[in-house]
Amino acid sequence: MTYFRATDPFPLESADHTKLHEFYTRLGEGRLVTTRCGACGATAWPPRGFCGECASDTFSWVDLAREGTIHAFTVQDTGLPAGFDGPRVFAIVKVDGHRVFALVTGADPATVQVGQRVRLAPVRVSDDPKGQPRWLTAFTPA
Amino acid sequence: MRKVALVGAGVSKFGVRKASYRDLVWEAGKACFDSIPGVKPKDIEGLVVGSVMPERTAFQSHISSMAAEALGIRPTALSARTEHMCASGTVGIRYAYAFIAAGLADLVMVLGVEKLNQPSGDEAILNMGTGVDREWEAAFGLTAPPCFALAAQRHMAAYGTTEEQLALVGVKNHTHASKNPNAHFNKGATLDQVLGSRMIASPLRLFMCSPITDGAAAVIVASEDRARALTDTPVWIRGSGQALDGFQLTSLHEDYAHWPAMQRASASAYKAAGVGARDIDVAEVHDCFAIAELIAYEELGFCAKGEAGPFVAAGRSDYGGDVVVNPRGGLIGCGHPLGATGVAQAAEVFAQLRGEAGARQVPDAEIGLTHNNSGMGEHIVMIYGREWA
Repeated sequence: MTYFRATDPFPLESADHTKLHEFYTRLGEGRLVTTRCGACGATAWPPRGFCGECASDTFSWVDLAREGTIHAFTVQDTGLPAGFDGPRVFAIVKVDGHRVFALVTGADPATVQVGQRVRLAPVRVSDDPKGQPRWLTAFTPA
Repeated sequence: MRKVALVGAGVSKFGVRKASYRDLVWEAGKACFDSIPGVKPKDIEGLVVGSVMPERTAFQSHISSMAAEALGIRPTALSARTEHMCASGTVGIRYAYAFIAAGLADLVMVLGVEKLNQPSGDEAILNMGTGVDREWEAAFGLTAPPCFALAAQRHMAAYGTTEEQLALVGVKNHTHASKNPNAHFNKGATLDQVLGSRMIASPLRLFMCSPITDGAAAVIVASEDRARALTDTPVWIRGSGQALDGFQLTSLHEDYAHWPAMQRASASAYKAAGVGARDIDVAEVHDCFAIAELIAYEELGFCAKGEAGPFVAAGRSDYGGDVVVNPRGGLIGCGHPLGATGVAQAAEVFAQLRGEAGARQVPDAEIGLTHNNSGMGEHIVMIYGREWA
């Protein structure tokens, strides 16, 4: 037997695997949504199926703005995990008061700045083992 | 609560080791038993093993039983593995401490072990991503360096901390490691070397980062009666604290240069020990990256917020200064075999407080502190004393 890797770095996003699947469906449609607690009304980032404030597990989906502002970011050049290329821009983007961890794509890393306006630009990654599409949250300069 | 002390300690050679996971268990176990000739494997009532990712790196779980059998230990009171990312070893020491303080055991070994290096280097880094949130962070390619880079950038912007001050942490810890034969690196480093090393995540350069390291360490923890029967020089656990701000980056303090959980963890430990920051002679802090050591000076109370850069530049965290920080070489110089790190820190404080640290000895060290963070949002502090009070 040859040496092999048996890992999939991306989440399983479909309804077969997560109660948060609608987040990913909408992300694939170019919408950023999160959960609102069905009991106390608290919204959270990232989406969650259990409210840490009131312990309810009911929730609905609410749309967030498709634009935000870079709160902090960093560029990693080397030392990235297997299968991930650099330079890679990791950012915390302020969207409707929430801090959203995301990639910044389509920008020269040297030009990215704190306070910069960015717009949602989801990234499609490899399909899951059943061939269903998968998306990650990402932004690009507005 | 009963009084609890360390009575033995030993570490393996740290580095890119031509050794299996079990080889490392044997090596640390041997060094630990050698430190206290009155204790044999059959005497140990409990074993706690701190280890983060043997399922990925050694394709092995059921770790405590495997290590017990490897060392000839037959636990009768406690057998467990602790996984708590970078603080796993210290969490194990806290379990042993609590069991013994409560009267549920008298003699427990805590062993930390990690075999991180893999045939493929980037797979080792991929594995490190298990320590951040898979769904919301690691899937994006995030590992620790960019997180700590955020803290470093913010500290530089808010307080004027310089790249040179960050680099001085690397110089100090590589220099300390040159006097530690068990360290991953033994050559020391100059300021030019640190500032000229390759960029990992701006502003953190290679020599400001801990490497991917294999290693193991073990300590033996005892009740007061057992400790006094075994040695004239026990090292007492005087206090302990742990606190969490959050797990994901987006749950932490909005200013990434502020780590309030470290203040809370150290306040608990200082209160339990009846000491303050000024009383600490030697500190083993979690310099996974140079910025973490600088922020630790501030949150542990060695200097005021924002003054860590000048503090290291003035030599106040080195021999002859206020407190000797990371005499063993820290994570930057020794390497960071995750589960082993906290136990190796305890082993260093054990040697320092007994006056057995050789070329690294901090003169007249009476009170020592260890600190680990697991990410930037969680912190554990232990305080040890040569005397009980």
